[in-house]
Amino acid sequence: MSVREDIGGSPLPDGWAAPAHQPGAFELPTTTFEERAHRTMARPFARRAIAGATDHAVSLTQARFADVDHETLRDQGRQIRAHAIANLPDYLEQWIANAEQNGTTVYFAADEGEARRIIAGICVDENIASVVKSKSMASEEVALNSALEGVGVDVVETDLGEFVVQAMGDRPGHVIAPILHRTKDEVHELFSKMAGRDLPNEAEELTAFARAGLRHAFLTADGGITGGNFLIAETGEVMLVTNEGNGRLTSSVPRVHIALVGIEKVIPRRRDLAVLLPLLTGHGTGQQITTYVSITGGPRRDAEPDGPEQTHVVLLDAGRSALLGGEFEEALHCIRCGACQNVCPVYRQVGGHAYGWVYGGPIGAVLTPLFRGQAEGGEVAQATTLCGACDDICPVRIPLHDLLLGLRRQRDEQGEVPRREQMAFAVWGAVWSRPWLYRMTTAVGRGSLGLLARDGVVSSRVPGLRRWTDGRNLVLERRRR
Amino acid sequence: MTDRATFLAAVRSTPRGDDPGQPDRLHAPDAPTELRDGEDRFDRLLHECALNSTVVHRVPEDSVAATILAILDEADAQSVALTEDLGARRQALTDACAAAGRDAAAYADVAPNRARAGALDATITGCAAAVAATGSIITSAAGAGRAGALIAPTHICVVDRDQVVTGLHELFDGSVLADVGSLLALQSGPSRSADIEKVLILGVHGPGNVHLVLVDG
Repeated sequence: MSVREDIGGSPLPDGWAAPAHQPGAFELPTTTFEERAHRTMARPFARRAIAGATDHAVSLTQARFADVDHETLRDQGRQIRAHAIANLPDYLEQWIANAEQNGTTVYFAADEGEARRIIAGICVDENIASVVKSKSMASEEVALNSALEGVGVDVVETDLGEFVVQAMGDRPGHVIAPILHRTKDEVHELFSKMAGRDLPNEAEELTAFARAGLRHAFLTADGGITGGNFLIAETGEVMLVTNEGNGRLTSSVPRVHIALVGIEKVIPRRRDLAVLLPLLTGHGTGQQITTYVSITGGPRRDAEPDGPEQTHVVLLDAGRSALLGGEFEEALHCIRCGACQNVCPVYRQVGGHAYGWVYGGPIGAVLTPLFRGQAEGGEVAQATTLCGACDDICPVRIPLHDLLLGLRRQRDEQGEVPRREQMAFAVWGAVWSRPWLYRMTTAVGRGSLGLLARDGVVSSRVPGLRRWTDGRNLVLERRRR
Repeated sequence: MTDRATFLAAVRSTPRGDDPGQPDRLHAPDAPTELRDGEDRFDRLLHECALNSTVVHRVPEDSVAATILAILDEADAQSVALTEDLGARRQALTDACAAAGRDAAAYADVAPNRARAGALDATITGCAAAVAATGSIITSAAGAGRAGALIAPTHICVVDRDQVVTGLHELFDGSVLADVGSLLALQSGPSRSADIEKVLILGVHGPGNVHLVLVDG
């Protein structure tokens, strides 16, 4: 933060210094899924925490919808999103016209680089030296923070979890709970280092420390940057949900509000929120409604006591329009609740970082190849069991399982499947489509594994099976006698 | 930079997917955010507020000021701002706060100075509506300002009986919301976070202390 003096009501905590770390870089092109997954799996806490937190979230979601007509609600949610996306050009134009009517300046970013340049340009033009930022996955997509720091803008993430992520130089591990994979002890160590003294190792005290520093940031920042959960076409409004209140403060207290929102977030009407809002919050956190829902419609108006002087909304395409009308269009229905991550047996073991880009879990395995291309992102669409748990939980019924299969086929069609993998599947297909060869290979396999097993369990390192037996026992089914 | 026409042309150039149309009837009577059949809206409001940690005071008109002063006492709130949406009650409440030794000001006078707004101990607002099924207070930028409901550690909201609507459907669909200005705001209890090892903390960036004064009778 450039302004360091104390502000009434928000003295800086002793030793407070804004995090100076660069955000962690995307790993996608340089490491493999397996390497990234192993890194998370090597941390016992992370594994326990991810499993525990996702279990908790799933049980809260189930309880939330236990005694209502959840299936009808999901049908309606799917229909609203499908209708909005099928008519996206019209609703987008309607939204733009109404937003401009509200006094919002609208920008058009065809790709990530353009989004960075537009927002950095607004900061330079409007003399914005410091911004507070409310959690936004779109801004993660375009790697906004480092671009802003590049033009000399101080950026402070204000969601507690995102603040920790930023200060650690980490990346968010979950769309809803960014520091799911981090311990209280790690946060304690980080904040104590920032404070230059040993803080009490309690969540309450640690939160209070962050709050005091972030409060100062809210009250001094020149700009506020948010994402948007929905764009409401009939009113030109941007809707934001948070529990901490940082979204509201970020979009209301600084003199300039900038929102970066994907074009697919458009919905036709405010009344659609009666369906989509409980689906989003119920599937995201299990809450009936998040503490703060902010539906913003442009800058402060004449009769209003507070609010930004300017509102800028940057519409982000970055691969979205290319999906319209095609096989993968339904990926655009996503409302970013994170429920598919919580139920995914792969995500639950490896966490969000293994996916290498912005989004983890089933929706990440779909969006990463779609937005980054098969050459770079095709691998993560393989990191699924195709169990279909994601289809069963998705609040807007995105057929994630079908999309994943389609992406696997597309990867093959585009020649991105490694030669060894192609050959292995060719051989496997040839052998197991012949009943006598199938019976022979399974008999041989069973027999040779039997030789390696002790009491029906293979636990030693077996060539060809080491990836399995390194981590767990291979239990052979016993022959019935 | 991509101009509007080029950007929209990219969105328009693709064939359209199947359009299922708008749902005929958006009202989902048993969504978690609607009342059940036959449920009393005030019972539900009280129940939901208890769940989201909003303290409800159901009082007659002539006890509103005394109730608010007692809340300010308990919260040890000295510096207080009152918003426009209190309507006719605003002057009387301002006078009552001043008479009780509080620094009471109109929020519109405090808000332009961010440091002063940030130092408030409490805000007292009216509302545009309250939602029974979600225990939510609804404010507008025109009425309570953009930050009036969450800038201070304590938020006290005065709600008239006839401002309580059933659920989100009635809130968004009906004629409940007139011109809200640059913000339509829903708040449901104190600010909260569970980011650190899922431990729930109240009062993160917004108030930790939320009171709903329901004027009834």
